[in-house]
Order: sequence, then structure tokens, then C-alpha cells
Amino acid sequence: MATLTYLQAISAALRDELRADERVLMMGEDIGVFGGAFKVTDGFIDEFGPDRVMDTPLAESGIIGTAIGAAVVGMRPVCEMQFADFISCGFDQLVNVAGKMHYRQGLAVPITVRLPSGGGFSGGPFHSQNPEAWFMHSPGIKVVAPSTAEDAKGLLHAAIRDPNPVCFMEHKHLYRRIKGEVPEGVFETPMKARVARSGDELVVIAYGAMVHTALEATEDIDGASIEVLDLRSLVPLDSDAILDSVARCSKVVIVDEANQMCAAGAQVAALIAEKGFEDLDGPVIRVATPDVPIPFSPPLEQAVLPSVERVKEACRDLLAY
Amino acid sequence: MTSSRTEAALVDVTMPQMGVSVAEGTVVAWRVEVGDRIGADQPICDISTDKIDTEVPAPVDGVVAEILVAIDETVTVGTVLARIAVGSGSAGEAAPTSAPVAPAATAAAATAPVTDAPESGATNGARNGAAGTAPVAGDLRRYSPVVQRIAAEHGIDLSQVQGTGRGGRVRKQDVLAFVEDGGAAGAAPAVEEPPLHIESPYRPDPVPAAAPAAAPAAAIQGGQLSRMRRQIGEHMKRSLETAATCTTWIEVDMSRVEAARKRLGVTGLAFVSRAVIDALREHPALNATMEGEQYEVHHDVNLGIAVSLGDDGLIVPVIHGAHELSVEGLAARVKDLARRARSRELKPDEVRGGTFTITNPGQYGSIMATPIINQPQVAILDFEAVIKRPVVVTDADGNDSIAIRPITILGLSWDHRALDGALSAQFLGTVKRHLEGAVGG
Repeated sequence: MATLTYLQAISAALRDELRADERVLMMGEDIGVFGGAFKVTDGFIDEFGPDRVMDTPLAESGIIGTAIGAAVVGMRPVCEMQFADFISCGFDQLVNVAGKMHYRQGLAVPITVRLPSGGGFSGGPFHSQNPEAWFMHSPGIKVVAPSTAEDAKGLLHAAIRDPNPVCFMEHKHLYRRIKGEVPEGVFETPMKARVARSGDELVVIAYGAMVHTALEATEDIDGASIEVLDLRSLVPLDSDAILDSVARCSKVVIVDEANQMCAAGAQVAALIAEKGFEDLDGPVIRVATPDVPIPFSPPLEQAVLPSVERVKEACRDLLAY
Repeated sequence: MTSSRTEAALVDVTMPQMGVSVAEGTVVAWRVEVGDRIGADQPICDISTDKIDTEVPAPVDGVVAEILVAIDETVTVGTVLARIAVGSGSAGEAAPTSAPVAPAATAAAATAPVTDAPESGATNGARNGAAGTAPVAGDLRRYSPVVQRIAAEHGIDLSQVQGTGRGGRVRKQDVLAFVEDGGAAGAAPAVEEPPLHIESPYRPDPVPAAAPAAAPAAAIQGGQLSRMRRQIGEHMKRSLETAATCTTWIEVDMSRVEAARKRLGVTGLAFVSRAVIDALREHPALNATMEGEQYEVHHDVNLGIAVSLGDDGLIVPVIHGAHELSVEGLAARVKDLARRARSRELKPDEVRGGTFTITNPGQYGSIMATPIINQPQVAILDFEAVIKRPVVVTDADGNDSIAIRPITILGLSWDHRALDGALSAQFLGTVKRHLEGAVGG
């Protein structure tokens, strides 16, 4: 066991995979010589060479399209989007080509697309988004979103070894703020939810950075027993775990850092309304970012992102219902 | 919908009207279970209206599909007690093994098109079982799905549950706490104890929760009070709680009655009854009923006569239009009613509508009592033993002497709310005058 930051855990997973499987290669903007915008691949080019850690042009469509071709002929490419926001340039390749390849041609596309996402550091509207729901809505693509260092490593191993295209949502704000014990070597974390804290009066369902917001917000709300469920995987969505928590707690708050409309939490709420109705003791409450671009201004950004206070208030209100 | 087709094959069994004044009845036993085959006119259940027990026959041949009224539940006349699936078709066969709502569900399932994805249908069914989503009738509060489900699982009347949520809303933890505190078990006895009333339309106050705790030492015989005993107890207690009961006594020389009754071959009770009827005609204020603040004097004398049923209890058949009967007529009616009371053949209307009651327990030699008024009447006369006593008699010339005479003590319990002591004394005096003077007829 070693104590790693979230970022170090991602680096470790990539390094382990590059060492373990020669089919694994990396592509991205400034990931080679520069070591990546966030230094995730720092030193990789020295160990694995420019053929496996490839600096690419600023063309996300080209990165993903090339990776798809490589995957179809048997490689296991890992693409880095410098910021998750830039994936919109590669949208067609990912959604229409990678996502439907197996359906149309029966060919596996084992690519992993790393998406450094999320806000909280004044990155502005082009560098702070949480675009995971776009891909949840597209058949054929898996979407995972770790919240801890251990899960960052384990889910990245799982993503790289998965035969499907996987969007790996890594939260930039957690890179250096979150540390944790991470087992050595390769291990795959199942794409299932995890109970971050168990409780039976209310459950907060979240993923990514919002798991930490939820844990902090619910540390002590008048001694209430509050569960926090970390989804970890959005596609596949662990409906059993969600419904189990709902059955136990009967009151639900769902937190999304993404814009509220049609976010991952909306799907969770719909699932609960449809299959957990008999277990509910109150309305399903959502806390999310309003449907506006993420502001650059630090106070405005803090105003739109779900805060510890907002989550706490929502929980308190629902507990009293 | 397919449910209407299923309902069309079901025949209702309702609480019958057994007399013009019978408004409700209590189911005391079911003779059948859901699924039993039953023939027309076979008894389906036993019911009790006041003191009269009887059977309800099945109206048709068929299979018992639903039983809708629990034992000891009191329902109004016309209420559906059970449903019988008729015919030998599939509806009749489907019903037996299922719960009450099942026939409709079974039929729906059988005819539903197979368009639903099997997986989602199955998951929904398991998670969102139909039970318990119906709101509790008469309760205006709304309940969340989980609260309704828990309540349905434990048979809880949610109106009994104290809510601690916003605006007194019942939360999941409230209903769970109610279950934990034995609320579900505690609620059951309240349902088991049906509201009882005999002649009176008074409704009893809510039944006090606490039962007598410790059992008496070394009981020879014990157990739950019989239904009749409980009803008598309830009725007597309510009378004492309702009326301002006073008792007045008068001594009556029964010499002439004794002579006349031997001649006519009737009991003393027939003479006392006739004398009471005559006195009531003179003092109609006692031939009355009082309900709440409503005091009503009646023209007809409907005379109740208390009849002992031995260990089982007591019943008060009523001689309607008693004022039209002679001593012999009264004697015949008393005899007939007593015989039918003891063989449990009285009709509900024969124990209703009394305007005055006579109780006559003197056969064992007791001489005085303080009877309890038969509500909603305003007075009751107690006729005890006739005993020979030395009394002072005065002849026509005013000479006193001591004589041996058959004497009885009549006791009148009367409701001080309706009348005063002077009137009750006058009434007793009138009865005495009739008994000491009248010689039959």
C-alpha cells in the first residue's frame, strides 16, 4: 500500500498498464515532452518512448478517430483530452463511430478517453465542465467517475481492460486535494456503486468531487444517520445499490456538479421514481449546478457549484419533511 | 378493463334487515372460508343484532370469493358481508385460492396483452407491490408511499399515528416507532370491541383502554365474558352513567291479587303488569323515553318484561300495545315471550321499543332491589316476593287490628332528570290502589 494523490493514482495506473501490456499506448496534447497539462504523464515519454506516449495535434477528433482505428486492429489506446470540455471537438468520433462500431460491424473498440473535468478553480466556461451526461445518453459508451485515489487507479485499470469505449471522468479539483491508500499493482475496481458512509435516515447520492461535498455536508446534521452513496460508474448505473439505499433510507438527495438538466442525477431520480416509489418517504431532492455556463469569476463560480452549505440545507429540509 | 366482467359474476351477501327497527348487526362467526363452495340457503355466517343471534343464508350457489367483514365487526343493514362467485366457469374457479382482490388481478393478468417487457414488468411488480397504496378512508392526511406500505404490512390505522414531520406529517420513523411500541397489536382490540347498544341509540363513549390487570385468585371457572354478558354490562353501566337514578318503594297488600290469580290461574306478574299499565295511563309522564335532552311521552304502553336466561343472562322482551290486553291476555303474552326468549326465538323487534319495564326476580324470596332503568326509558318497576306478614288493618268503622296479609314491596327506579319524587310516589300509590282494589280483568 502506498499513499497517493488522486493524480498519482491515475499516473500509476497508466504506468502499470503501459508496463503490463504492450498494446496499451497513450495519445494526447502535450502529454509527451511536456508531461501533460496536469503532469499526469510526467516522465512517461522517457520510459515508454514517443511511439507509446504520443504528442498529437490540437485535434480531438483526430486523437479519438486514430485511437478507434488502432483499437479496431487490436491496440488499447488511452486518449487524454486536455480538458474534458474539449471533447466536443471529438464528439462525432466518440459517439457515432466508437459507440456504434460494435453494433454496426461487430468490432470491439477498447479505447479509454480520459476527461479531466469539473470546476472549482476559476477555470471558466471552457475548462470547468462536467460533460458526462452527453455520453450517458449515447449507447455503446461506458462512463465512470472515481472520487478516491484507490478508485481512480482501480477504475482506470478496469476502463483500459474493458472491451468497450470508456469515458474516464477524472476530476481536476481532486487531483492534488485527495489522497489515499492505494494497493500496489494492477487491480480492477468493479463498475458499481460504493457506500461511502452508511446510514438509514437519508441517502445522498453523488459521484466524483460531489462525494466529498456530500460527506462533508452530512458529517453531522443534528446527529441524523445519513448515508452517502458514491456511484463510481454512471454507465452502467448500479440500480441495485441505489434502490437498496433508497429502501433503507426512504429519503434521497441527489447531487450533481453538472448542469441540472438531464444530468446523471436526473436519471437516478427517474429510476427511484419508477422502481423505488414504495420506499419513499418524501420527495426526491436534487442539488445541481444551475443551467448556466460555469463563470470564471471566483465568487460567481462558487455561487453556482453545489456547495457544502447547499447540500446541508437540502438534507436538513428533507429530514424535517 | 377486465374487472367489471369479473364483478358481474359475483353476488353480494348483505347484512339483512331483520326487523323494521334494526339498523345494524355484528358478525359473530363465519361458517365458510374464501374458496369454500356453498349452496343457496346454506348458512354463511352468524350475526347478532342486539340480543338476537341468527344466521345469514347464502343467496345463491357458488364459491365464496371474498369475505369483507371481520368477526365482531358491526355494520349497517345492507353492508356487503361477502361475495359469492356464481356459475361453474373460470371466475368461480379462479376465486377460491386467492385473496379478496385477486379475482380481478387474475383475470387482468390472463387477458393482458404480452406487450410489456417481461423484465421491467417483473421488477415493477416486485418493488411496487399493489398493497397499501390506497389512502385510509376518512383520514384526510396524505401519506408517503413507504408509510402506507409499512402501515399495510402491519395493519396499522394511520389516523392513530402521531406525526412528527412538517405540519404533523407522519414520517417513516413515526410509523416504525408506532409498530415498535406495539401500536399495531394495540390497535387490534379497539377494533374487536364493537360499539354496543341495545334498545338505546346512544353510542357508548370510547372504550377505556385498560383492562383489569390481575386475575382473581383461585377461580373455579373463568374466561372471557360472553357476548351477552358484555352487552348487559355495557347497557347497565351506561344507564347508571346516563340517568339520575332514584329508587322509591311502596308496600302493597296482595290479598285480593292472590285470590284472583288463583281463580284465573295466572301469575301475580300479570296483575302487577295490568296495574302498572293502568297507573301509566293515569301518569303518562312515566310512560316515556328520554334521549339526550329529548323527553318523549308515549301513548301506547309497550311493556318490557325482564326474563332470566339462567346463567347466560337476561333479556327484556316487549309486549307491544300492552294497554289493550287484559290480565289473562298479558299472562299469555308473558308466558309466550318467556318461552321464546329461553329458546332464543325472539325477533329483533320483540326486544325493542319498550316504554316501561317490569323486572320480577322475587321467586327466590328476595324482597327489595334497586333496579337499573332500561334506557332510554325513564322508570322501571321491581316486583319481588309476596310474603305473608302481620300488618295493621283498619276496618270500616276505623278499628285497627293485626292481620296476616300477603305483602310485597314494589320498588320503582326512576330518572330524576325526567321526573321528581312526588310523581313517582303518586305513581306507586296508584299501582298499589289498583292492586289492592282490582280483582282481575
